[in-house]
Amino acid sequence: MRTKVSREKKSRKNKKHKSVWGFLWILPSFLGVMVFYLLPYADVVRRSFLGAVDNRFVGIENYKTVLGNTAFQLAVKNTFLFTLLCIPVLIIIALFCAVTLYKSKYGGIIKSAFLMPMALPAVSVALVWRLLFHSQGLLNHWLSNMDIAGNDWMNNGSAFWILFISYIWKNLGYDIVLWMAGLAGISSNIYEAARVDGAGERQCFFYITLPNLKSSLYTITVLSFLNSFKVFREAYLVAGDYPHESIYMMQHLFNNWFRAFSFDKMAAAAVMESAVLLALIMLLQKAWDSKE
Amino acid sequence: MKDRKWRRVLGTLLAAILICASLTGCSTGSKDGTGKDAGAGGEDGQGNGTESAGEQAMGRFLEEELDTGVVFGNIYDMKKLEDGSLRIIGTNGDNGNSGVWDSSDGGKTWQSVYDLPEEMQNPEKGWMDYAAISPGGQVVCAFNEDTSSGVHPVLYLMDKEGKADKMSFELPKEGESLNITTDLLFPSNEWIVLKDGAGTAYQINVSDSSVKYTYELDSDVSVFQLYAVGNTLIAQDETQVLCYDLQTGEQKDSEEALSKGGSENGLFHAVDTLDGGESIYCLSGGGLYHYKFGGSVMEQLIDGNMNSLGAPAFYPIALAMIDEQNLLVAANDTNASSATGICVLKYTYSADTPAKPDKELKMYSLYDNKEIRQSISRFQKEHTDVYVNYQAVLSEGNGINVSDALKTMATEIMAGNGPDVLLLDGMPVETYIEKGILKDLSALLKESGGSYFENILNVYQDAQGQICAAPARFMIPMIHADSAYYSPGEDFDAFTERKDTMVNMLPGTVVEKFWYTCGAAWQKEDKTLDESKITEFLTKLKNAYGEYDSSREGETVGMSMTMEGAGTEEVGDIYLSRGELELAFEKINTNFGLCRDMDYGMQQAVDKKLKDGKMDLMPGQADHVFVPTMVLGISSKSAQPEMAEEFVKYLFSQEAQKISQFGGFPVEKESFRSVIDGHEYEGLGGIVGVAGLGMEERLDYAMEPTPEEEIAKMTGLVESLKTPSLQDDVIKEAVVEQGEKVLKGELSPEEGAAAIMQKVNIYLAE
Repeated sequence: MRTKVSREKKSRKNKKHKSVWGFLWILPSFLGVMVFYLLPYADVVRRSFLGAVDNRFVGIENYKTVLGNTAFQLAVKNTFLFTLLCIPVLIIIALFCAVTLYKSKYGGIIKSAFLMPMALPAVSVALVWRLLFHSQGLLNHWLSNMDIAGNDWMNNGSAFWILFISYIWKNLGYDIVLWMAGLAGISSNIYEAARVDGAGERQCFFYITLPNLKSSLYTITVLSFLNSFKVFREAYLVAGDYPHESIYMMQHLFNNWFRAFSFDKMAAAAVMESAVLLALIMLLQKAWDSKE
Repeated sequence: MKDRKWRRVLGTLLAAILICASLTGCSTGSKDGTGKDAGAGGEDGQGNGTESAGEQAMGRFLEEELDTGVVFGNIYDMKKLEDGSLRIIGTNGDNGNSGVWDSSDGGKTWQSVYDLPEEMQNPEKGWMDYAAISPGGQVVCAFNEDTSSGVHPVLYLMDKEGKADKMSFELPKEGESLNITTDLLFPSNEWIVLKDGAGTAYQINVSDSSVKYTYELDSDVSVFQLYAVGNTLIAQDETQVLCYDLQTGEQKDSEEALSKGGSENGLFHAVDTLDGGESIYCLSGGGLYHYKFGGSVMEQLIDGNMNSLGAPAFYPIALAMIDEQNLLVAANDTNASSATGICVLKYTYSADTPAKPDKELKMYSLYDNKEIRQSISRFQKEHTDVYVNYQAVLSEGNGINVSDALKTMATEIMAGNGPDVLLLDGMPVETYIEKGILKDLSALLKESGGSYFENILNVYQDAQGQICAAPARFMIPMIHADSAYYSPGEDFDAFTERKDTMVNMLPGTVVEKFWYTCGAAWQKEDKTLDESKITEFLTKLKNAYGEYDSSREGETVGMSMTMEGAGTEEVGDIYLSRGELELAFEKINTNFGLCRDMDYGMQQAVDKKLKDGKMDLMPGQADHVFVPTMVLGISSKSAQPEMAEEFVKYLFSQEAQKISQFGGFPVEKESFRSVIDGHEYEGLGGIVGVAGLGMEERLDYAMEPTPEEEIAKMTGLVESLKTPSLQDDVIKEAVVEQGEKVLKGELSPEEGAAAIMQKVNIYLAE
């Protein structure tokens, strides 16, 4: 009996000892997050209740101003629309490509080719955009050779679709790699057993592949969502501070507010945006956890 | 188990090293935390000052403009003679006579020694291009004799007392055209060096006018400037410095450091030596440099940023080193206190003055401003303890755009490292005022004591009477045309109903010019824009503009006007002066744009050329419009508010306001009068200026003071101005971009207006 108690004590001590060591190991990283993310974020929350330059307390006035700001409303609408359209399309196309490539003999090589757009600097992409989609650019030149009327592509509704295609093109390779990693984790025995029982390709995909990829889907969705914010670089480099209203994103607004010393509005908008993002990610995680 | 323990220890050690290394990395940088030197650049700072840890380096050259007692109309050369006295050859500004002056007290007073011979004084008999003084006091003059058979270049040699002789040297013919002197030096008492139009330098014996050596210098790609110290002839172009031995005529070994220094600091304006040519003192836009032949470095002795040497309107003519601690510079400074602009400056080494000023005042603008540079130069002369660190963010070749520049500035201001004074060119002035970035200037402007055009000065005054930004200058949109195309007082509707008023004009330029007179009428009370007025603007402008002529597409516009010693100035598209000659020679039917100076003689000449020329305010949807320029503000987060106020006060003082570098009319009344009254032409006897579009299209105009009634008329016109143009580059950019498309016929006026509104609405909503 005495031996059992002393073992339990020892095990508890060991556990405590391990957790202290564990905490020590993550301490540098935690300090980094604390100094570079959490403390500045706390300052942003503080500033969201203060005036822009004079730092006087204004209560929730900044939140009210931001919510009533039509530029903010437009930016939120565009950002949501873009995310809502892009992410499902990207995930589905990437999954289709990944499944096809996984089965192909040359999948590895073709997969690398899909990754190429990620390696291209945003400035080069922006330059090509300009060459292609300017009102006197290559696309209009080719169209005029075919007797088709050109368009000022970046200054009308087509700007949104150019941004949409650009996002898919740039991120497809990354998502394919992630899907393929998920596919590699599915044991071939399952497929063999199913085929012995008479399952076809379609049935294998819907009843084996998809259920086994659920865990990958969460990671891919979150990463695609975060990557969708990076498309601003190209939009900014091509169309500047004030692009066509269909591609006016949250980052344009933040960029312009910063330039105009509107730190009060920026802080309030940033707090709201981060709250929405955090809620979305937690919801996603909860949904996936409950399914698992 | 033992292995695991060792691994843990090793891991902990590595992590500790990593953390220490990263923290050390963070701590590197300048000790003051700014990462910048407090004072001027330069290899070793200033003068001969030395600096040890914790001590301030002392010693700097201080500048002083000498009251010579003589009004020089021109100075050709100035030299310290072998006997220690100083000699100038120049023109007396009071009577126009050319002569020689000496000073035996280090340049404080100058006595006339002799006038040049009678035949050289008569303008009908010819003119003098160059003159040079030898160490012994002899003078050589390159004179162009104007005879019935044509122009003949000759050299006159005067001995120390002024006895003149014509030299027998003759320049070889340059084909059919006249060969002239392009450079003249008198490096020793034995020989003269002269360069001709073909780029050949001749070393001529003084005794018999024979050519001792010739030097083939210029080529199709480079033109050399000549200087000489001791027995070394120095030829400099943009990229290199060549040295020749005047004793042997042979090229010497290359002086790499001198070449490098020359290409980095700009062409030398003047040189001198104190040791018979063992070393050289060179004056350039960067300041004064010293170089010992065969050495490896050019030492900066005076930083041009801290005095007149680096000012944009300062053109040194000659340098005379009195000793190592005293030197004189003769210069053409269009903004000097002397009426003719010719001045003599003395630089004296002060061992008690800090090598770098104690205080640094930061000033930012987006674009370089010559008036500001000139003012800084003068301000620093009076405040030797202040260094004004002026940064024109977009003019430094760093490739950043306006948006990036403004963001960087916002970061710096909020971090407490921002500018003290802001020149708000292209910056969102009203946003800055609204956000509390700028301090109230109203008390400062009252204290400055000047008499200002209040209608212009108070343009940014708010309801509480605060003035957080004020324009130091302004421009006026004006039109100049024959009565067939414009009647004075005509409004925008009547003007745009006329046809052929905008023939041969580029659509983008037309829209930009009318933006100034129309944009102000579009803004509603809630600061949004009235789309119907923009549509009306584009419709009427398109009607007046007519069909677009694509043959003028890509045409480079911008002409150059050169004045002796004053360099070349590019005349931009939107300025009224740009189109005056085109109007006179009927290339265009109306000339409109921003008026930023007044040239009465030219205006009269153009009027005469037209049948019934008239000049008036430019029509537009808004009335009596002016364009505020050089808008100044003090940062509310300035670290040195008192000094910033003192500097801004200086910028509104008469001394700074009278500086004219085409940045607009001064807002101070007396200075405004001084800029437009043509006082610089007084006593010149109505000399004639010549301008033209080519050899066949030349316009002669009298350069004379502006009549009193014209000054009164112009002053009255300025006092009548009541509407500031819309100062918003984002809106302007959208209007010009879409307006150009409308005038070219690519968009209808309605489509153009909608596109403008789409862009501008987001901007205004922010």
